[in-house]
Amino acid sequence: MGTAASAATLRHLREALAGIDPSMGPRLPDGERQVSLGAPIDAALGGGLACGMLHEFAPIAPMHLAAASGFALALAACAARVGGEVLWIATGFARSEGGGPYGPGLDQFGLAPARLLILRVSRAADVLWAMEEGLRCRALAGVVAELTGDGEAAGLTATRRLTLAAREGAGLGLLVRHRILAAPCAAATRWAVAAAPSRPDAYGGLGRANFDLSLRKNRRGPSGRWFIEWDHHACAFQPTVSVAVAAAAFDRPDRTPMAGTG
Amino acid sequence: MNDAAARLRLRCGMPLADARAMYPSLPVFDADIEADRRLLETIADWCDRYTPLIGRDPPDGLVLDITGCAHLFGGEARLARDLVGRLSRGGFHARIAVADTVGCAWGVARYGEQKIVPRGETEAAVLPLPIAALRIEAGIAADLKTAGLVRVADLAARPRAPFAARFGESLLHRLDQALGRVDEPITPCLPVPSATAEQRFAEPVGREADVLGTVEQLAQRLAEILERRGEGGRLFQVALFRTDGAVHRLEIGTGAPLRDASRVRKLFEERLAALGDACDPGFGYDMVRLAALVTERCDPVQTGLAGSDHAEDLAHLIDRLGARFGLRHIVRLAPQETHVPENAVAVVPAHAAPSLSPRVDKDAENLEQDSLSATRPLRLFEPPEPVEATAEVPDGPPVQFSWRRMKHRIVQAEGPERIAMEWWRDDRGHALTRDYFRVESSDGMRAWLYREGLYGREIEPPALPRWFLHGLFA
Repeated sequence: MGTAASAATLRHLREALAGIDPSMGPRLPDGERQVSLGAPIDAALGGGLACGMLHEFAPIAPMHLAAASGFALALAACAARVGGEVLWIATGFARSEGGGPYGPGLDQFGLAPARLLILRVSRAADVLWAMEEGLRCRALAGVVAELTGDGEAAGLTATRRLTLAAREGAGLGLLVRHRILAAPCAAATRWAVAAAPSRPDAYGGLGRANFDLSLRKNRRGPSGRWFIEWDHHACAFQPTVSVAVAAAAFDRPDRTPMAGTG
Repeated sequence: MNDAAARLRLRCGMPLADARAMYPSLPVFDADIEADRRLLETIADWCDRYTPLIGRDPPDGLVLDITGCAHLFGGEARLARDLVGRLSRGGFHARIAVADTVGCAWGVARYGEQKIVPRGETEAAVLPLPIAALRIEAGIAADLKTAGLVRVADLAARPRAPFAARFGESLLHRLDQALGRVDEPITPCLPVPSATAEQRFAEPVGREADVLGTVEQLAQRLAEILERRGEGGRLFQVALFRTDGAVHRLEIGTGAPLRDASRVRKLFEERLAALGDACDPGFGYDMVRLAALVTERCDPVQTGLAGSDHAEDLAHLIDRLGARFGLRHIVRLAPQETHVPENAVAVVPAHAAPSLSPRVDKDAENLEQDSLSATRPLRLFEPPEPVEATAEVPDGPPVQFSWRRMKHRIVQAEGPERIAMEWWRDDRGHALTRDYFRVESSDGMRAWLYREGLYGREIEPPALPRWFLHGLFA
């Protein structure tokens, strides 16, 4: 039926159009797409978290699992903003252990449920197989896979395969582990994530989601530790003002109002 | 009763004592009707290689509609010879007759000598047969015999009314069916596909790659048929006929009408991989058939020059994941019109809801604008997990809670957000109102807790309301 030939023709036409009018053209060449995490982290990452790569996230303690998966989902939401959908793969065990993705919450968090596909599988090996398939698909902006167990299922070879698949599909590969793993992993970056105390809003209510990020492995630059917050209205990360992480402020019965909040 | 017993002049219906008297050492087994039925079904499955229209005729018969199929085997006689030959190689003794009507074929197969009744000679074939060849109850046949009516011809020659009065309509109906005066439909035991393509092999094939290659070729042939009709398949089935008679059937469903042969092949590849050893080729398959069971109109779509061409990729990914894990396991979340948190979202299979429209909810948006953080959790526990929480006053916000053996001190709590259950869905009227709190612990963990029951109104004061953790925020 000549679909391959017509697809090539279409691609050429689109590129030609982009040369005439940049707003008409396709998005950035896939290799250069990056998700910004705010200036300090972007500098360490060489411009932002690279798409077409595999990234690994783990909570520093089991209770921070929601923060780790939330951080990965926020990144996926950022990647999906330019187009494409997000695939979340988890086993039934992961769902009972950490809770299932919740539509209204995701919606408020910045990822519309219409953009999210959820795959439920029964074994960890299936998670990896499905993740590889998903990463190869160019229609997906990001694939979030949740792994509960130890590293058996996702060792060096498996993650290497996933990296190659991610390069092919140019999507963001996000591997969320339920615990930190010391074993080697072929991911481009490895993060240890914890929830950080939030800055309260002007009325003393709960503030934006805050993350305490430790970059433990970085192929392109130094590792480090940062505190950032997720602005779900703007769908962007912002570095937390350094005074806000001073833990002492939270013990006072009445909070000191801070500049730039509200 | 087997052939050996027949040679010893034993008969069906003979009392066991008589048979034992003739041959004291005769081995006897109980009839296993269930096993016979299963065997008949297996043979019916296997007969699918001749025609898609197969009816079961228990306890010991099968009816095949070979209209338009016989020429594929070189004529009716050759088809019949092939069928009996293959069955006898499998150890079965079969009698077969080909005729214009089901009734005639039934009678001739059981009581006649002829194998093929030529077109238009139904009457000549049926009339000399004994009366029992009409598929009537044994009692009626015996009564007719006592009346001196031995052959069908004796019955057909006489006026109908007295027989109808004496034996009921069914006798004459059977006669009409056998002579082709009344139409008799076959109830097929398998759905008749919308389009099929098949491939036979002189030498059986067993390698997965060969089978999949064949599937792709068949899919190409099927695509031509479907394209002429302007349709695409939604449900495909591959039937693999093993040399020993077993038939494996694999089905795949797709999210959108599909014609592309390479994609059909890929989907079956996933299906085979998921099945693993359940689909054992044994000594190989001697026939492969691909059928489109459900088809749907499929119009070519105009591709936009500025848009993305990835929609098709996504549909294909969903199909592939669905072929491997089952289409019901790849889902989307569809918002529902309810305020009860666990019901506010429905899980729908992705292929059934290709795209959901984003929800427009003004009130919720305004609520969000006011709040820096999300008001609904990212991950929800189903069912909610019981926690032990302490509040300063029974209806106040919690100050600490322990969940999964960990104590969390709450530094900040927002609430309550009071959510009453839907009384119109609550049959027994026992559902308690919930007070939801968004809390942040000293570690930064943000959780969605609720207290079940209003203290003093729904819960009598000495008892304290229970607490649950319903979800976690990022």
